[in-house]
Amino acid sequence: MSTGEKKFLRWFKEHGWKLFKFQRQAWHAALTGGSGLIHSPTGTGKTYAVSIPPLIEWLNENPKATDWPKTVPLRVLWITPLRALANDSAQSIMAPITDLGLPWNVELRTGDTSSAARAKQRERLPSVLVTTPESLSLLLSYPGTREKMESLRTIVVDEWHELLGTKRGIQTELCLARLRTWFPNLKTWGLSATLGNLEEALHVLAGKAGAAQLISGDLKKRIEVETLIPVDIEKFPWAGHLGLNLLPAVIERLEQAKTTLLFTNTRSQTEIWFRALVEARPDWAADIALHHGSIDRQVRQEVEARLRAGTIRCVVCTASLDLGVDFSPVEQVIQIGAPKGVARMLQRAGRSGHQPGAVSRIVCAPAHALELVEFSAVRAAIAARELESRIPLERPLDVLVQHLVTVALGSGFSEDAMLAEVRASHAYRNLTYTEWKWCLDFVTRGGATLKAYPQFSRVRICEDDFTVPDAFIAKLHRMSIGTITSDSAMAVRVLRGPMLGTIEESFIGRLKPGAKFSFAGHALELIRVRDMTAYVRRTKKFSGVVPQWLGGRMPLSSQLAKVVRRKLSEARHGKFIGREMQAVKPVLAIQNSWSRIPEPDELLIERVQMRDGVHHFIFPFAGRLVHEGLAALVAYRVSKQIPATIAITLNDYGFALLSGTPIELREADWQKAFSPENLLEDLLACLNSAELARRQFREIARIAGLVFQGYPGSGKSARQLQSSSGLFYDVFTRYDPENLLLDQARREVLERQLEISRLGATIGEVTAMKIVLVETERLTPLAFPLWASFVHANVTSEKWSERVKRMALQLETAAAREKMR
Amino acid sequence: MSVEMEWAGERLILLEQKAIAWPRTRSLIVADLHFGKPAAFRMAGRPVPESTASDLDRLDQLLSEHRSKRLIILGDFFHSAAGLQLEMMDAVADWCGKKASLEIVLVPGNHDRKSGQPPACWGIQNVADGWSLAPFSFCHEPRDTAGTHVMAGHIHPAISLREKFGGGMRVPCFWFSQNCAVLPAFGSFTGTHTIRPLAGDKIYAVGDNEIVDLTA
Repeated sequence: MSTGEKKFLRWFKEHGWKLFKFQRQAWHAALTGGSGLIHSPTGTGKTYAVSIPPLIEWLNENPKATDWPKTVPLRVLWITPLRALANDSAQSIMAPITDLGLPWNVELRTGDTSSAARAKQRERLPSVLVTTPESLSLLLSYPGTREKMESLRTIVVDEWHELLGTKRGIQTELCLARLRTWFPNLKTWGLSATLGNLEEALHVLAGKAGAAQLISGDLKKRIEVETLIPVDIEKFPWAGHLGLNLLPAVIERLEQAKTTLLFTNTRSQTEIWFRALVEARPDWAADIALHHGSIDRQVRQEVEARLRAGTIRCVVCTASLDLGVDFSPVEQVIQIGAPKGVARMLQRAGRSGHQPGAVSRIVCAPAHALELVEFSAVRAAIAARELESRIPLERPLDVLVQHLVTVALGSGFSEDAMLAEVRASHAYRNLTYTEWKWCLDFVTRGGATLKAYPQFSRVRICEDDFTVPDAFIAKLHRMSIGTITSDSAMAVRVLRGPMLGTIEESFIGRLKPGAKFSFAGHALELIRVRDMTAYVRRTKKFSGVVPQWLGGRMPLSSQLAKVVRRKLSEARHGKFIGREMQAVKPVLAIQNSWSRIPEPDELLIERVQMRDGVHHFIFPFAGRLVHEGLAALVAYRVSKQIPATIAITLNDYGFALLSGTPIELREADWQKAFSPENLLEDLLACLNSAELARRQFREIARIAGLVFQGYPGSGKSARQLQSSSGLFYDVFTRYDPENLLLDQARREVLERQLEISRLGATIGEVTAMKIVLVETERLTPLAFPLWASFVHANVTSEKWSERVKRMALQLETAAAREKMR
Repeated sequence: MSVEMEWAGERLILLEQKAIAWPRTRSLIVADLHFGKPAAFRMAGRPVPESTASDLDRLDQLLSEHRSKRLIILGDFFHSAAGLQLEMMDAVADWCGKKASLEIVLVPGNHDRKSGQPPACWGIQNVADGWSLAPFSFCHEPRDTAGTHVMAGHIHPAISLREKFGGGMRVPCFWFSQNCAVLPAFGSFTGTHTIRPLAGDKIYAVGDNEIVDLTA
């Protein structure tokens, strides 16, 4: 054993810890030059498995303290998906360094880092740099970065499972490929929660670089799952009703623990629960906080600090606190509303009992009766360790286009070497030469046809050297690096007071000055809207609306969907296993007597005639992602037979077709609507009719650098360049229909939103199913939530003029003349 | 299909190509061409295809179809100084050169003030202080003065329509109120702004091939 190793083992012992088997394995692998992926539940000591070997390595190379430099130059690059995590990671990494008095420094470089600190880092990088994928890209966009990284030995990617399967993950892969080109002997270590496809996760991380090993944290984390059973079961649940009938039971639980994390599934839900808790227990008002992604960063950081210190009773939060920040004082976790996925449930449970060996406890609070089934299913899946996979994305060209500009801006590149580098990443291993050429053309000439894009240049070629000579373009590009897109958000600020966070523009747009609403845990009144900021004042009592944020709703995983179907089938046969299923019995009985509980080999279709039209409710139980595509497809096929406009709503269990036009369909018609014939053609057709591709293009346009969102201080010249992605979509469709980004939009809708492989499989299953058409008198427990939820899309085969005239009847007029600007 | 209407006692034809024909004076009225906007974007490294030629073609068709002898442009002829690139300037200069007998009146808009006037040799009459041809006055920015009839552009009006169960769409429109008519933007590469009309206003939605009177 080396001297370095001995020193750190002693350090472990001094803290009363012993090295776990997986930590020993990781140390050994890293010290012999290997790479790998470590997976284990949160709070099992992954950080020290990978942060210590680089220190040992250095200590062995520099045994004599008298020869030590003042500070060691960059040795470790630590990539984390969440800015909030960066601080915590840095502190953990720093602890042994301080104790052993090593000349290492640890610094952050994230979107929150001050420009002075960043400028200093451009001179000289710290021994360990903790950063995000976006900030790493940005670093690569500066010339001279390679020289400053000369001594880099190890890259660590924390929470790799969060990045895998996202465009941020692809961005990370491309950065890794760049760094490996520069330094072929780099070691890469990933840290991940347990996933269904760990082998694949390892391959994606390692890229073509090859030899890497999977190391399993051998600690079986003990997890206790308990469900609160409501005394009075909500039989007709709807999306807006959020389980507040469990409020007394939840308050009782909050009384029992010192610190609780209360997870909900949406930001609106956190707002509603926070409001309800404070109204029920005004004495807790200063002791409960709210945490979600739209709340101002400073407020969030204050909440996080109080959590760490254990000086807060409860934080109502969303996925914003899912990730591995170590909040040791958290004693209990409560989940409001359906868990939606097995892995997510495990992750959330792991927020409590964060220390190695401690038990994680999660209390489930179903928002409505059917969620009892889901909780029962999740418990079964946890017991059987049936975890979801994260499927990696395939060569999205928008991310590549952005990366090419970034690299041209930094060190510059030459064509063949760059192609080899890009193909060494997992995401682009199958990149075709045509696609590669198109991307190069896109950044140098604007597109495949030179004629169509005069005066264009983003990247310039000079004898096989690709660079960005224009300073303005460089500035715009650096401001736009990243793959996270958001809806146009409006800042909310107290008049002559602090910033509270951001709300979607469309929500504020519906409010009039004087309107009351609640946000970020405050009761507010809108005063005025100016320069993309909503000015508000605080009011005494909560009243009025709670903001809604689009998107962010988690789909039921297919893994869990399967178990839910199994549970329902058991129920149909009178088997109600567990407290949850016992409790939901009366609701399922109503479903069965008014309509039916479908067997796994049945497709239930309920038809109900209501005053406003004839509605169909279809239940494939395939998760909302698949239902998105399936609903659009079926609506499209139905509307081909009768000229109509059909509104689609959907949830994880099924989808609804709502129409003012009476639609009469027999079993044979339904079979046709679900037929696997012409699947791809019909899907492509409904991409247009439901405007799905156009919607997806928003993200692509932003990442590929077409749309510039504009930032405070980005200046007038930039404001002249603002434009909507929809406009780009239209001009491309009209003047450059071969544009591959349009192609990508279609492909992404097909692959991700419509999940074509899963959709194809579902269609296959549905074709084999028996269609059960039931005419119901009323909305059943399964149908009600679909009827009450938001319309997802409209599919139409009406004549444009007819449709416009019909809609004009509902036209709202303003109360006073808008100032004619 | 275009739509005919009467305003201030004059017969007007609203065209789905986003223009108004005024037969009595043989005038064609358009607003917000934003020539050079694609070029300005390209200069900043954003690849936007060129649409100037197709916009000019569309103008040509309308002028000949309505045998117009006058073209009234309600401002924002050019998008920005950065967009005044050779290719676009040549195309527009050529086009103007062939229109010697056409009277072209430009009421400059906020964008024109920054990008500058069209070259004098193009034969475009630049009327800085607004322009009138009874009973109408022509401006870039809408004005709401009792007893006048103003035609304007600037806001690129669109109307938001809701479906019965939720969702909907946004369509560009002509917006007629008592004293002011606002035209949709003519240029291909232009966005829209959603308006909230008052009761009594007339709204004409512009589709690909037709115009629909929403307040009929």
